[in-house]
Amino acid sequence: MIKDRVVTLSATILLLCIVMSFLFPSQFPTVDNFSQIMLNLSIDTIVAVGMMLLMISGVFDLSVGSIVAFSGGLAGYLMYYHDVNFLVAIVAALSGSLLIGFINGFLITKIGINPMIQTLAMMGVVRGLSLMLSGAGIQNFPYEYNYIGQVKILSLQSPIWYMFAIVLIFSYLFKNIAFFRRYYFIGSNEKAAHLSGIEVEKMKLWGFVIVGLLAGIAGILLSSRLGAALSTSGKGLELRVITAVILGGASLAGGQGKIVGAFLGAAFMGIVGNILILTRVSGYWQEIILGIILILAVGIDQLIQKKK
Amino acid sequence: MNSIKALLFKLFFIVLLSACEAPPRTGGSGNNLHSTEIITVDTVSANEEYVMITTAINMPMYVNHDQAAFKMWAKKMGVKASILGPSEWDIPAQIATFEQVIPQKPAGFLVNGTDPGIAQVINKAVDAGIPTVVYDSDIPGARQHSFIGSDWYEMGRLQGERMVKILNGKGKVVVMGILGMTNMEAGFQGFLDVIKKYPAMEFIGKYDDKANVELAAKITADLIVAHPDLAGVAGFDGNSGPGIALSVKEANKIGKVKITTVDAEPEHLQLVKEGVIDYLVGQKRELFTQMGAQMLFDMRHKTIAFSKNDAKAGVVPIPKKIITGSIEIDKSNVDLFIK
Repeated sequence: MIKDRVVTLSATILLLCIVMSFLFPSQFPTVDNFSQIMLNLSIDTIVAVGMMLLMISGVFDLSVGSIVAFSGGLAGYLMYYHDVNFLVAIVAALSGSLLIGFINGFLITKIGINPMIQTLAMMGVVRGLSLMLSGAGIQNFPYEYNYIGQVKILSLQSPIWYMFAIVLIFSYLFKNIAFFRRYYFIGSNEKAAHLSGIEVEKMKLWGFVIVGLLAGIAGILLSSRLGAALSTSGKGLELRVITAVILGGASLAGGQGKIVGAFLGAAFMGIVGNILILTRVSGYWQEIILGIILILAVGIDQLIQKKK
Repeated sequence: MNSIKALLFKLFFIVLLSACEAPPRTGGSGNNLHSTEIITVDTVSANEEYVMITTAINMPMYVNHDQAAFKMWAKKMGVKASILGPSEWDIPAQIATFEQVIPQKPAGFLVNGTDPGIAQVINKAVDAGIPTVVYDSDIPGARQHSFIGSDWYEMGRLQGERMVKILNGKGKVVVMGILGMTNMEAGFQGFLDVIKKYPAMEFIGKYDDKANVELAAKITADLIVAHPDLAGVAGFDGNSGPGIALSVKEANKIGKVKITTVDAEPEHLQLVKEGVIDYLVGQKRELFTQMGAQMLFDMRHKTIAFSKNDAKAGVVPIPKKIITGSIEIDKSNVDLFIK
């Protein structure tokens, strides 16, 4: 039981919540606080689902944060400067994000560029594009666009619902659809997967396309939630998301992880972040603490694996 | 059976639609005080907490000026000062921090006006009845109770005027800072509006040093190679000046490439004294947070009241906007600023 990261992480989160509820009874266990935590982790989780898919297959994408900024920036640019209908702008932004994912996947699988180098380079290229599109920030979007990220359903703001929907859909796909389950084979033993007839290159390419699309969706949700396209959006998101995914049970070697683990990893980080704010821990310490938590989580996992 | 399914399906959607709460149609900049009762108290308590929401929380300029003045003010007043925000320049993270503190209803918010994207969360705090002051740069679309800070366009204009003066109205110039930041873009514009009045001044371009000394130095070095007749560089973030100065020194171009920049940290002052930097335009940052916090305190404690109930009457009992002005430093007065 203890070896399942989903179970241990869920138990840790539960324990953390119980302790905090006793320590801060009027501040922590409130609907306002929890909906805020969920809202803040929704964007990271949506991207983390895509990152989990990639990491199961043994690769990762460093350009996701830049794609988040690009997607919101392109939609904002089209709506604000060219009076494009908000739906057309969204389609264009998502198509652009897909294209970036496709270019990443194509250059990695067909040309053979190392995924870290390729996505690192793409991170810079796309961040530059976002800066060109968003400039000093774009505001005054159509009401309908802002509605997408600001409407509340049952008192929860829409990005939370999108997050749950995406986690549920991908959990279902990974459990029931052979195409997605093949990512585990690829991550566990790429050569064996190839010999057994799995189109490894094609599957990996699709992985980058999917993560590009999810980052694009996250970008649309973030910009509509903020009512602004910011060139700094998604900065550092790639590392947060990789941290969340590793906390959630993925391995840099591939072949491991569950979609719900991506959500739990992001939720754990969101709750720890919230606790640090509630306890007024300075920003200096926040990254140190999150770094230590990651080392502990992965270190303990390694010890358990060795004992096995 | 199918009709029951269809009915249930319709019911589900009706419930879903009725559970939807649409965002307000206007994010407007109007005064919303009629609908917002500010939480006020008569006695000062040590638990009375004023929260500064910023970003890049460890930036030396913020630590040494904004945060130091805020902490000193809190100590003097016997209240609690908390400083929250991400360690990197990360606006969504600043917003996320802000949103998580609003439900805790602190005595007041002192918000670093970093980007127009924070307007909505500022309005959220105002709507929650929490006194809110924005400092440094004004935020379009935000309904904060007061703004205190610099006029970045004016800071750019001042740099432009000085650059024209020291170059006798001719030569190639560039600007450097963080591209995309609203306040810096306003500064660039102020600089350019002056430069374009002088036909013999040639503007080469805007460069992004990402508030990084090494990058500012590298860009300047490349510019000196590409334009051996480069006459002047204007910096707009705290690290632009030291980076530009480093390259100008290394290229033995002191005095040949003129430098104007923002901020007046000890390293900037030393470079002015050495004659590497020609002109500094500094901000009165201590005033932002010290006066800003005092305004929050005055609102909460109704220090000055203009009616029986200012909130109901739609009166904000503090100044709507304070521009603190700039500090101009060159070789003639630099010694007065060196501690």
